Amino acid sequence: MSGKASNLKVISLIVKEKIFSTRMLLMFPILLLFIPGMAWGFSDPNIILPGGHRPETPMEVLFYSSLGIVFGGTMCAVLMAFDGVSKERASGVLEVKLAQPMSRLNQTLALVHGTSIAVIIPVTILVLISAFIIRYRMGVWPELMDLIVHIIATGLILIWYTLFTLIASSKAREQGTAMAFGVGIWFFFTFLWALVTSMVAFASGIAIGQDNDSSWIALEGALDLFSPNGVYHHILETRLSGVQRGVSGWQITIMAIAWTVLPLWILARRMENLVP
Amino acid sequence: MAEVILQLVGASCRHYISAPTLTKPWKKIRGPGIPKIDLALHRGTILGLVGPNGAGKTTLLRMLAGVLPLQKGNVVFTSTKGGQTIERELSTSVELRELIGHMPEQVRWQGKKTVHDAMVEIAAMRGSSEHRILGLIKLVGLKSRIDSPLDELSQGMRQRLTLATALLGSPNILLLDEPFNGLDPVAAQAFAQLLRQLSEKGVSIVISSHQVSGLIGIIDRIALLHRGQLLIEGEIKSVEKELQLSDRFDLTGTSQPPSSELIEKLGMELLEFETNQDSWQIQLKGNADGVLKKLISEGIEIESWQPHAPDLVEMLCSSTGLRVEDVGLEITSSAFLPLIHRKVEEE
Repeated sequence: MSGKASNLKVISLIVKEKIFSTRMLLMFPILLLFIPGMAWGFSDPNIILPGGHRPETPMEVLFYSSLGIVFGGTMCAVLMAFDGVSKERASGVLEVKLAQPMSRLNQTLALVHGTSIAVIIPVTILVLISAFIIRYRMGVWPELMDLIVHIIATGLILIWYTLFTLIASSKAREQGTAMAFGVGIWFFFTFLWALVTSMVAFASGIAIGQDNDSSWIALEGALDLFSPNGVYHHILETRLSGVQRGVSGWQITIMAIAWTVLPLWILARRMENLVP
Repeated sequence: MAEVILQLVGASCRHYISAPTLTKPWKKIRGPGIPKIDLALHRGTILGLVGPNGAGKTTLLRMLAGVLPLQKGNVVFTSTKGGQTIERELSTSVELRELIGHMPEQVRWQGKKTVHDAMVEIAAMRGSSEHRILGLIKLVGLKSRIDSPLDELSQGMRQRLTLATALLGSPNILLLDEPFNGLDPVAAQAFAQLLRQLSEKGVSIVISSHQVSGLIGIIDRIALLHRGQLLIEGEIKSVEKELQLSDRFDLTGTSQPPSSELIEKLGMELLEFETNQDSWQIQLKGNADGVLKKLISEGIEIESWQPHAPDLVEMLCSSTGLRVEDVGLEITSSAFLPLIHRKVEEE
């Protein structure tokens, strides 16, 4: 078997194991409620959001329902990955795997791909179902490019959270610590990032939460580049008209690459030096 | 002597361990590990790697398996091609891992994955084809469990599965860390037989254990490890001789035990003597030729006569010059105390 075929085989086995796990069985109804459920709600022709916002295009509905991915999808990635390394390390299976001729880098890449694909597949299916819901409720399909960008951005954020959690899992000797670290990161970027933004704004003398204040919008936009959720929304916003947050496309691209490459490099380095 | 297949030359591996202090909670220091070792594995022989807890057996096996990278030294693989012996220094761990089948201690396979799927995954990592999987599963006696989830396996079955994964890809060298743990006596015997067959096919096998007695009859050579240092290595007979632990015999009998005068007359040394109401047990040392016959002719009623296999404690005490109390509970220390190597103090 060639190296590439070996990698693909290992990835497919990890995907198979994770996608049919009890954890995914538990998470799937939650994802179902969060992703197509939100698409159903936001595509309601009579909906008026706080602040008088009203989603008018399919992409706006997809953008608002991406909140379900930020809450549910990323949590699913954390739950799938938190014991990705620590469990096998504790049981001794990791030593069996590390003793195989497959390089540690390839093993790491297979683990990252396998775990993230196991989350990306159901989430993507649910995003596609959301597209059907939008068509049904609004009478118009989302544009193909909008859907592609949405799926790619969703795939990226799921990979990022998988990477953070796998790093924690490779660091922690027992699964509780890995779980706490993964959920902690999720909590920080999902709930506490607004607090960080507010603190920076306060320290900079910028009025907090003023939607018509350009300096607040610019600061929020810039700080969002340092949060995976923020970068995710920046990518989605490139498909929305009339959104100007002072962040250009190249900055979003660089940060998206950084959020992918940096954690991957840290994880690969950790795995390279890991003592089973 | 069988030809050398793999050599560790000046190999060292002391991985970092946490040593937090109040001011530096992240502080790490080098663990005891293996400071420097030279070891040769021979084709078609079974080497018993023995030592007390914390001696460095697992670390050494992991170094040999390419799981822990060498910090110093190198690994030399010897092969024969067209009658010529070729020595090749292995530059990467991946090269080493291609040659080795590694069975770590007490692997707790778990999850919903089946035995077959677990094997398929390891086979894919090894780059070997799947057609041998069924044969290996049969070989280790797990055929009836091939579609069972890993969660349903007993510890003995998990041991067998680990062995099957180690045998994938027909390795030249097989490393087994405490392989008999968790195996029932029947399985252990079948396992020992399998190891013998593999060694006859030219596979070099290393078995680590803290019990010498369990390895006698299986191994051809023995290596004694203590505090990360190889105290002695060689064929069992020569090691016993060098440690002055050879030519010892255990005798049991009934009624009158042989007198000390008689034992002296036979040219034997009395090492141990124990007596109960109607039976006795002694340990003798010396040349046993004709001794049994003479004892019987002197009217001594003998029930059993067998060579005394050395145990780990005896070997350690003999090779380090330490007393059993000093060796027994002093498991390991990050500070390397000077060792008394075969009663000669080391620098």
